[in-house]
Amino acid sequence: MAQTSSHALADTTVIDTDVHITVEEETIAEYLDEPYRSSILDSPHPVFPSSSWDQRMGGKIDDHFSTFTGPADIRQFQSDFNIDYPIINTFEPLGKFSQPDLAMSLMRAYNDLLMDRFLDDYDFLGLAAVATQKPAEAAEEIDRMGDEDQIVGIYLGTSGEYPPLGDPSNDPIYKAAEDNGLPVVFHGNGDEFMFDFPHHNKGFNNYFEVQTLGHPWQQMATMSSLIGEGVPAKFPDLDFVFLEAGIGWVPYMMHRMNKIYRMRRSEVPLLEKSPEEYVRDQFYIGSQPLGEPNGAEDMKRMIETLGADLLMFATDYPHWDFDHLEELDKYLQHYFSEEERQKILYETPVEAFNLDL
Amino acid sequence: MSEHTVSTVDEIQDGERKLVEVEGREIAIFRLDGEFYAYTNWCAHQGGPACEGSVTGTRNAEFDREELETDLEWCKEDEILNCPWHGWEYDIPSGDCLSRDGTKLPGHPVKVEEQEIIVSL
Ligand code: FES
Repeated sequence: MAQTSSHALADTTVIDTDVHITVEEETIAEYLDEPYRSSILDSPHPVFPSSSWDQRMGGKIDDHFSTFTGPADIRQFQSDFNIDYPIINTFEPLGKFSQPDLAMSLMRAYNDLLMDRFLDDYDFLGLAAVATQKPAEAAEEIDRMGDEDQIVGIYLGTSGEYPPLGDPSNDPIYKAAEDNGLPVVFHGNGDEFMFDFPHHNKGFNNYFEVQTLGHPWQQMATMSSLIGEGVPAKFPDLDFVFLEAGIGWVPYMMHRMNKIYRMRRSEVPLLEKSPEEYVRDQFYIGSQPLGEPNGAEDMKRMIETLGADLLMFATDYPHWDFDHLEELDKYLQHYFSEEERQKILYETPVEAFNLDL
Repeated sequence: MSEHTVSTVDEIQDGERKLVEVEGREIAIFRLDGEFYAYTNWCAHQGGPACEGSVTGTRNAEFDREELETDLEWCKEDEILNCPWHGWEYDIPSGDCLSRDGTKLPGHPVKVEEQEIIVSL
């Protein structure tokens, strides 16, 4: 697999699978009907909860987030970061909202906003937000958004989801996504750690600990639930994308699930092959936040284990732990062939999101 | 290959098994629906004594995509051997492992001649 070569970034077409737009509360309120518009604009009790963790450490880490609100900001980012095709999502994880109807209203509002402000007048690609509190309504929303050419997947935060996302109650969502040819994109979230792991959220004393575990725990729980419930076997034409937990957890999970499956097959009888095969056949993994081993060879082996058919580049811009393209590309350029590099930066996401570029 | 008489037919009732030692190897003879099957007592997982495990049925499932319903079915009663170390399932008639493609119990040809069970090793 290894081959050392040098490539000019300008010659490479790059797809970024994880770009977040920042939506102010007052802005999303404009897209909501009553009573939720007023409950955001007028209520003294904030509808959007905060965990109280200081993610930016009193301002030591710069805020790229608050001002990243419009199409011009995305254009500037593309030019600064050499991104040809950003795949945009509305970020807000909707699983945390206790009121099902509020979650459904927010889902539709974020999608209306995405179309209205980002997709209707620009050629960006986007993901349709989905909330799972009412799966049948979510499926209707997937059908509605599935008609939009620039919508290339559905977007689900993996935080605050109860029951876990593979639960059969969510099958209408997966069926609708498969029917519409849209992959399901799962995104982990640090600030929402408090909803999934409240004891640890309370017990940890600094955000370092939360940030280390939040995204991978949510993504592992989701992958375990999907495989254990046989979701990829139930919907064999559906693809699943995992963002924002890096890549090291994926080999660990494939191998661990293989082991447990072989001991407990009769408990998960929908599976017709090993968990690793399902992951390799139907799952894709975003690179960010790429781990930082002290020895570069360790990352080379990790990327080799995953392979160029699974791995896709992601920045997570404008969030504070975003990755520049160079973070992944330094390994790709040094250790991998140009064909493998092209796959990871372009062809694999084209396949995952069925892009017609 | 050498032939070894390991038992008489009467010694193994249908649904039962007998463990014997042949050329220093532990061999299990299973009788199921009148047929005899012989396997080395060695699990492909970690070398556990697979042939000493429980014999049960197992579960299969089918998914109805229109109704979004999963139908669980208990099947192959008395045909599934479960390794006592970690529960890997083997199909007694074929020796196939149910949870790992291409993996089998090491099987041996069996024949019955004049009420005697003969295994070839
Ligand atoms: S040794 Fe047989 S299941 Fe592990």
